[in-house]
Amino acid sequence: MKLVSSLRLHNRFFLSLLLAAVFIWSLSSIEWNSKDLLHSGGGPTLLQIAEGLFQPDLSADVLAKGFESAWITLAYAIAGMSLAIIYAFIVGILASGVITSAKAARITNKVIFRGILGFTRSIHELIWAWLFVAAVGLSPFSAIFALAIPYGGILGRIFADMLADVPKEPIHALKSAGASKLQTLIYGYLPLVWADFISYTMYRFECAIRSSAIMSFVGLGGLGYEIQLALQDLRYDRVWAFVLFLVGLVILVDFWSNVVRKSLTDHQAKSGLRSGWISVGFAILMIFVSWIFIVLNENAHIFELVSDQNIGASKRFFGGMFGFNNENPAFLDPSNWSNAFKLTLETLEMSIMAIGFSTIAAFLTVIPAARNMANGQLTGNKKWYHSLMFWIVRVIYIFSRSVPELVWAMMIIFIFKPGLLPGAIALALHNFGILGKLWAEVIEDMDPRPIRNLAAAGASKLETFFYGILPIVMPRFLTYILYRWEVIMRTTIVVGFVGAGGLGMDFKLAMSYFDYTQITLLLICYMILVIIADFASESTRKAVK
Amino acid sequence: MKKWLSILVLSILAFSLAACGQQEDKSKEESKDAKTDEVFKIGAIPDQNAADLEKGMTAVADYLSEKTGLKVEFVPSVDYAALVTGFQRGEIHMAWFGGLTSVQARNLVPDAESIVQRPRDAEFHSVFITQPNSGISKLEDLKGVPFTFGSESSTSGHLMPRYFMTEAGINPDEDLDGKPNYSGSHDATYKLVESGAFKAGALNEAVWEAAVNEGKVDTSKVKVFYTTPAYFDYNWTINSNVEEVFGKGTKQKVKEALLSITGDQKDIADLFQTDSFVETNNDNYKMIEKVAKDLKIIK
Repeated sequence: MKLVSSLRLHNRFFLSLLLAAVFIWSLSSIEWNSKDLLHSGGGPTLLQIAEGLFQPDLSADVLAKGFESAWITLAYAIAGMSLAIIYAFIVGILASGVITSAKAARITNKVIFRGILGFTRSIHELIWAWLFVAAVGLSPFSAIFALAIPYGGILGRIFADMLADVPKEPIHALKSAGASKLQTLIYGYLPLVWADFISYTMYRFECAIRSSAIMSFVGLGGLGYEIQLALQDLRYDRVWAFVLFLVGLVILVDFWSNVVRKSLTDHQAKSGLRSGWISVGFAILMIFVSWIFIVLNENAHIFELVSDQNIGASKRFFGGMFGFNNENPAFLDPSNWSNAFKLTLETLEMSIMAIGFSTIAAFLTVIPAARNMANGQLTGNKKWYHSLMFWIVRVIYIFSRSVPELVWAMMIIFIFKPGLLPGAIALALHNFGILGKLWAEVIEDMDPRPIRNLAAAGASKLETFFYGILPIVMPRFLTYILYRWEVIMRTTIVVGFVGAGGLGMDFKLAMSYFDYTQITLLLICYMILVIIADFASESTRKAVK
Repeated sequence: MKKWLSILVLSILAFSLAACGQQEDKSKEESKDAKTDEVFKIGAIPDQNAADLEKGMTAVADYLSEKTGLKVEFVPSVDYAALVTGFQRGEIHMAWFGGLTSVQARNLVPDAESIVQRPRDAEFHSVFITQPNSGISKLEDLKGVPFTFGSESSTSGHLMPRYFMTEAGINPDEDLDGKPNYSGSHDATYKLVESGAFKAGALNEAVWEAAVNEGKVDTSKVKVFYTTPAYFDYNWTINSNVEEVFGKGTKQKVKEALLSITGDQKDIADLFQTDSFVETNNDNYKMIEKVAKDLKIIK
């Protein structure tokens, strides 16, 4: 027993060393010379951007536009999520294998439907949007489907996992009472998981807001579009004004999702029950209003999607991607592969650098960000500046995660030279806020007694951190790092669109030059990367546990 | 309570489906009378400030409506490729393309035709700009300099500058300081050089002149150091489906209306920096096509 646990400890130690080594390897891909990193005008531009942050343009004109585009962003996010729930519900049940009885059928079902879920979530929503727009044109449904597909994939996988983990006793009881498969599903499985499912959906909803905001990149309105326009005119004061709207929207949604989740998981609290009802009613109302708005105001016609013209266009587009009528498809040309391989490696380095930077930034800030550190619960010592630090760091976290990677990248590209570094920094800026928040929650949830003991024995703050807190929270910290790395991997292609290096830049160029087979080649490389990242992260996470 | 909430989840689904049903009905109604009054949609590559473009192009749409009796509407688009795709799908009936995008569009829609352009488009130029004290005075000096193009689909902001740089022995992908940036629009290009974010850039001469005349650019911070030889650029390209959708003779009618524009249409004249339009044809763009093929931008 003792041997096993010490082995595990070593595992973690070696894993941390390995991760640090990989991070350092990724850094070596950049020439670290400040002259070569920043543009000659990078410094002054940074000042201009910072100036805009402290003096955002809050004129009536901008405010009116801000509210309008915030609503559009919200409506698309809600519409996309409502479709994602339907997709996740159906495919999730099929993938969980709870409605098939024969063993062989169950396994094939699992493989096929889990495969579908895995495929749909491995591609970033912006790529889906791009493909849809190219195939069926600029319809609001392009954006809604582009949101619904990857989010449905994520939700569906979680839903399937939840169904598969349901305690077997109540199901057996139902079965022995003669319930059919469908009856066990409706009366057995679903009532056991719905609360967790809705609460996870609400949790994901916050991400959907950000995704909806960046849909403007394929031509839909909303906050992202306004940010993009303001950036084109280099009006940083406006950029920040719209970014503040986005931050506000994310905070609101965060608050709402917390209310819903609390009331759903708190089965005892009577008052929670009522506010839960109100929230669910509110959610339904919002879904209804959003769809009506999109259908009436944005002229979305579902029938137009399957018009002859669209079918022809999709055939042309996807036919082009498979290289029909093309004598020299890019994916059959070895020189293209070697170039794509180089870009793939760059993308991998960028993702590792990004997670490394976010880890360092989160590590430096996480201690003041934990509520039980700030109020002295954990160490038994409280200073006035603790709660001040707590709020400052928390505000930075919210800001950092509310702004999508792509928007960070669009600004950073003005400061750093195009290449891997600006992409990695943009990804890190977004992810360190998320990582910090998750880590702070881990510290808040830990058992305070050993730490108090250490503090009482006279350990300094640094000592308490390294000998008390770190060993306890390390496994979960590592888990979150690996988990975020997976997400970053998926997003690297998107920051490339604005010139931040890797596969994304070439993807964008191939799209602009209508080079369909090149798109296919780059997508293949991208998917291989995502699958490798998923696999590596999952197996390492298991090793840490 | 659990039962109630699962009913709620189901009703969420039902509501979403109901919403889908509704829009199906609506689209049916609309498609009924679609044939009788199809809108003639025009587009323009978003190569400059979106507000200016909207204002000028709406004026063009109004003028064309008045002259031809068609219902004309301007459809804005966010990037060059999106407009080409819209044209390919037949949703955009006529577009103000750059040289490269018109060649791309005619590659995708073989019977489309470049019909009208400004006199200056027959001998268009790009300008290379830099800061006054940068020490850059010719294309060869761009070696090792942080540089920005406009949109990657732009003729005057990317294709032709790249071509002339290559002719001068500069490989934009290897010889600059890092990879070249693609700013997305001509206005963004001079602003990025003015702000110092990039040391040099290339853009459309017409946009540059307008910016100088209107005082939008601070000429003490940016100057032109090289102007390219002439080439054919922008033109109005009309889609192959126009005669079929709007009746025979529409192409000629639209062409004549465009040619009748004078300096009196102020909003149009301001946007296009011209007081007249002249005829053009597909053959004028052979050179652009060849350059684009040589640089592997079209296959």
